[in-house]
Amino acid sequence: MKNKKLFLKMYKYKGFYLMFLPVLVFAIIFFYAPMFGIRFAFTNYNGIKTPDFVGLDNFVRMFGVPSFWKAFFNTIQISVIKLVLTTTIAVVVSILLNEIINIHFKKAVQTIIYLPHFMSWVVTASLFTLILAPTSHGLVNTMLINMGFINENEMIYFLGKESTWRPVYYLINIWKETGWQTVIFMATLAGINTELYEAASIDGAGRWQKMRYITFPALANTILTVFILNLAKVMNLFESAFVLQNDAVLNTANVLETYIYYQTFNSGSIPNYGYTTAVGLFKSLVGCVLVLVCNQWSKKVRDGRGIV
Amino acid sequence: MREKKTLFNYINAFIFIIFAFLIFVPLWKVLVDSVDLKTAYGMRLWPAEFGWDGYASVFRNPTLSRPLLVSVFTTIVGTAVALTLCTMGAYVLIQWNMPGRTFFANMLLFTMIFNGGMIPTFLVLKSLHLTNTLWVVILFPALNVYNLVLMRNFFEGIPASLFESAELDGCSPMQTFLRIVLPMSKAALASIGLMFAVTYWNDYTHYKLYITDSKLYNFQMKLRSIVMGSDLPSAQGNANENTVSNAAIIVIIIPFMILYPFLQKYFVKGVNIGAVKE
Repeated sequence: MKNKKLFLKMYKYKGFYLMFLPVLVFAIIFFYAPMFGIRFAFTNYNGIKTPDFVGLDNFVRMFGVPSFWKAFFNTIQISVIKLVLTTTIAVVVSILLNEIINIHFKKAVQTIIYLPHFMSWVVTASLFTLILAPTSHGLVNTMLINMGFINENEMIYFLGKESTWRPVYYLINIWKETGWQTVIFMATLAGINTELYEAASIDGAGRWQKMRYITFPALANTILTVFILNLAKVMNLFESAFVLQNDAVLNTANVLETYIYYQTFNSGSIPNYGYTTAVGLFKSLVGCVLVLVCNQWSKKVRDGRGIV
Repeated sequence: MREKKTLFNYINAFIFIIFAFLIFVPLWKVLVDSVDLKTAYGMRLWPAEFGWDGYASVFRNPTLSRPLLVSVFTTIVGTAVALTLCTMGAYVLIQWNMPGRTFFANMLLFTMIFNGGMIPTFLVLKSLHLTNTLWVVILFPALNVYNLVLMRNFFEGIPASLFESAELDGCSPMQTFLRIVLPMSKAALASIGLMFAVTYWNDYTHYKLYITDSKLYNFQMKLRSIVMGSDLPSAQGNANENTVSNAAIIVIIIPFMILYPFLQKYFVKGVNIGAVKE
């Protein structure tokens, strides 16, 4: 009886099931089918001969390779520092932007600082490759020469030196993303009741006190939310690092996804899909744990609302 | 209540003039250098020797028109496919009493937590013979669960009474979707559609991973190889290689730069569709 009822109910919704079918097909082909490919992590599959089961060999090999560990710690360091820097600057920019009285000036600033977010990473990398070029075409090197910091035969190849690559990478990220990150903070600031500020003024609170005791607390929840949401994604770092790195800086710039890419497609020999799948699985598992931890954290600070 | 302008306001405004200037300079510099025929640009913020030769080199080059066409084609078709999936999926997910709704929702959300990874995905696409076709760069990014959730949040705001009366009038789910849901969601369609369009236009990773046939490269791939120096188009007239690179960058960003001032509010709205729900 119960089955029949359920069947009738499902029949009533037949149109909806039909509409969901394309979504289902996409999800299965592009997300679920690859998950079955994870089995290759336990084989020596190379795309040519039938794979042999090798147990945990790939993982044993992976944990013994120094360049794997290098890429792993690079991923975490680069992602987390980038996240902290861009979020902090975005918060400061939002609070200051909120203090601007002239609405047209504010709009103009917002229009300009949002712009780089929409540039692709290829465009961004191309742009900075040209600006940072160690030639007389490069804006930054010419500026340093004119200011007398360096002379003409000491031009700095910023993106090709281990000591400068990371600072430049962070600066480029700040250039590209801080503006856009302020959107969410500005929305929160717009929601603060102006009566709070007026009441504080009557009580004799100055500008800094109002920022400290009204603006910042109102933002705190949003800051934490943004931070948690992005923390969950730290393992996914790929395109931004990939387009800015080159062989000379791999020691400091290689991250897990780029490591997997080079090992598979640029190794110069027959690709060992088994090994790189194992590295990918490790990456996904760490990412998964991060998401779940962040989700619990999010539920705690956001009254039960998780991130997924 | 009009606040009195204090020293702080002036300093603050000054800070933002500097900040906006620093953000804008790299873009301005590329624009200027793209029409500057005199090399050794250095710190010039205005061309020393004005000329369009850089653009002439880009447009007269037959190997560049094809990537541009690929970019335009995949952006248009991709955005259409992506919006269709996104809206239909979101519409089904607001049918709270539908048997299996929770299962479908969780099935989609799970993909945000865990995925097969770069290599298994590559192997699946390869075994389906999708690699080295434009299908892969159109279809693969089309299902975006994050955007689907945003769209669902927006649909939740549509009054349930509208759905009920549509059902009483004998509308099928598809008719309700086309006649009520979509017309009521123009703002969300614009916002999320634009996000998809930017994603497709800017796509590089999927081409790099799944396409090796240079006939199928989009303009981002082409730009990359131009700037990296491996694939410089022959410079025409008085243009030098750097001018050509700068011109190529401008060509790929100019459509967006022209539309951006009119579209900015939709992008901002897109971010806040999710935030409004809090």
